[in-house]
Amino acid sequence: MSLLEFQGVERRFPVRRGLLDALLRREHVWLHAVRGVDLAVRPGEILGIVGESGCGKSTLARIGIGLQPADAGAVIFDGAPLNGPDPKGRLQMVFQDPYSSLNPRMTIGAQLEEVVAHYRPGLTRAERQGRVARMLDEVGLVQETAQKFPHALSGGQRQRVSIARALCPDPQVLIADEPVSALDASVQAQIINLLRRLNREKGLTIVFISHDMNVVRYLCDRVAVMYLGEVVELNDSAALFAEPRHPYTRALIGAVPDVHHPHREGLPVRGEIPDPFAVLQGCRFAPRCPLAETACHRPQSLDALASGGAVRCWKAVSGTLS
Amino acid sequence: MSLLSIRDLRTEFSGPAGIARAVDGVSFDVEPGEIFGIVGESGCGKSATCRSILHLFGGAPARIAGGQILLEGTGDIARMTERDLSRVRGREVAFIFQDPLTALNPTMRIGKQIAEVIRCHRKVSKTEARAAALDLLREVQVTSPERRLDAYPHELSGGLRQRVVIAMALALRPRLIIADEPTTALDVTVQDQILRLLRERRDSTGTSIILVTHDLGVVSQICDRMAVMYAGRVVETGSVRQVLDTPSHPYTRALLAALPGQTGRERDLTPIEGSPPGLISPPPGCRFAPRCRFARPECAVGQPPALHPRGETAHLDACILTEVPDVLA
Repeated sequence: MSLLEFQGVERRFPVRRGLLDALLRREHVWLHAVRGVDLAVRPGEILGIVGESGCGKSTLARIGIGLQPADAGAVIFDGAPLNGPDPKGRLQMVFQDPYSSLNPRMTIGAQLEEVVAHYRPGLTRAERQGRVARMLDEVGLVQETAQKFPHALSGGQRQRVSIARALCPDPQVLIADEPVSALDASVQAQIINLLRRLNREKGLTIVFISHDMNVVRYLCDRVAVMYLGEVVELNDSAALFAEPRHPYTRALIGAVPDVHHPHREGLPVRGEIPDPFAVLQGCRFAPRCPLAETACHRPQSLDALASGGAVRCWKAVSGTLS
Repeated sequence: MSLLSIRDLRTEFSGPAGIARAVDGVSFDVEPGEIFGIVGESGCGKSATCRSILHLFGGAPARIAGGQILLEGTGDIARMTERDLSRVRGREVAFIFQDPLTALNPTMRIGKQIAEVIRCHRKVSKTEARAAALDLLREVQVTSPERRLDAYPHELSGGLRQRVVIAMALALRPRLIIADEPTTALDVTVQDQILRLLRERRDSTGTSIILVTHDLGVVSQICDRMAVMYAGRVVETGSVRQVLDTPSHPYTRALLAALPGQTGRERDLTPIEGSPPGLISPPPGCRFAPRCRFARPECAVGQPPALHPRGETAHLDACILTEVPDVLA
């Protein structure tokens, strides 16, 4: 049983490449940001979505809370298709930069009260303030924070405010898009602990989007790895890190610098994420994959493995990956 | 003899609220052919320290208020005039910035930009400079370098742009390259490629590198020695293995303990509570004392403690406690 499910979700953006193209009324070039993503979020879990820039993870997040429509496929939330943001606020999002997602001209208290008033119009002022006070307490902020403006807070405090705001409508799912990437390591740890506590004590389901493999490994129960708009591997976090199957997952884990083990095995992957406009047949990682062969240029599906998890690589599925 | 000796460097930024001592008594040496890492969190003074070496403050109201920056055979850079500095910049000491797109001229082809660096300092023809630019692109392992010479920066990926910036830094065979967060804007697989390239260039040219980063993993990968900075001061320095594997200063220990890679999933991470002090009027004594779990009353009085050897030689820290308990215990 899943709480939030992506079913064959596609998203493409029209891109005009220049003035000349526009004048000549040439056809749009399509940037395929998300292609055929099937992903089920289980109630009470922390699901990690990892990948490098341009892999489509943030677009998927915005589709997941109804901020953007899918061009094809569907998002099913709590048994019903999601068409736009949930009116009850049961799906909430936390963004990477807490400063640009808070109103600089409103006190923290006023901003949070506004959210409470939107979802619970019947409450009195005192009841709203009481709820804001509980939310601040929940995220570990002192009550005086309510009188402050965002600029008077540190980065970590602002991110706590963003989380408090997301908690105001009592959501079932929190989608957090790189919520700790802009924070220093010592503060990052505070926010990660907070997310863990919310998940453990309130049963909050969290979709955690990140490029940081160490954070994902520590925080998430399951992990989906994305590359150029596709999920290339999905598994329990422990299994994925202990035995990554897809060559891209292996490369991604292998490239993370470790504090105590400076010398790693393996070759670096070649090149960079290719032009997303390029039409690639078959495996989209093949041009950079050290193990690619001719057969990799036929379309790949995300296949379940007998040992658990799923991978979009015919070689990993057939066990011919060295 | 060290290639670079920084002694008691003090750099100030003046603002409406007062004078912030971003660098407040920093000393370290960089040996020939070594990669020296400077790590710390935002606002610790790591960037201000390395920008001070070439007086690159980008128009900010900053000045070097004291101390020495001794470059072997060149003298004290701290007191140099702009005129003298222009002979040091690029030729003796080169700089690599975090964001390669802002470091490159968007209206100029790559080949011409690299050639310009060469022609500013050496009397060579345009053809010779272009040939040298091509060699440099090969040196930084740019694929199809002939074609890239005529590309504009926006046509290149982030990793390729950073390779171009590295090529420009290498152009005049400097003895020291200062790289300020050179891989922070890059994806992790590309970061890996760039770190390998920097180390490989050090190995074959013998240039020294100062690498400034917030990422302890990056330091672990390519640096030989390192300094940890906190609130404008160096709190611990030594070989990378000494500092990362047997850290002695409570701040270094706390920083390592806060990383998610070091803790099992069953236990919570150990954050550092509170935030770093303001640099306009920092607290007396050890600047980490207000956040330190082991602080005693004597930690918060007088001058900030100086670096002193801890056990092994060449492993120094600035903590007055004789025994620092294990943070995770």
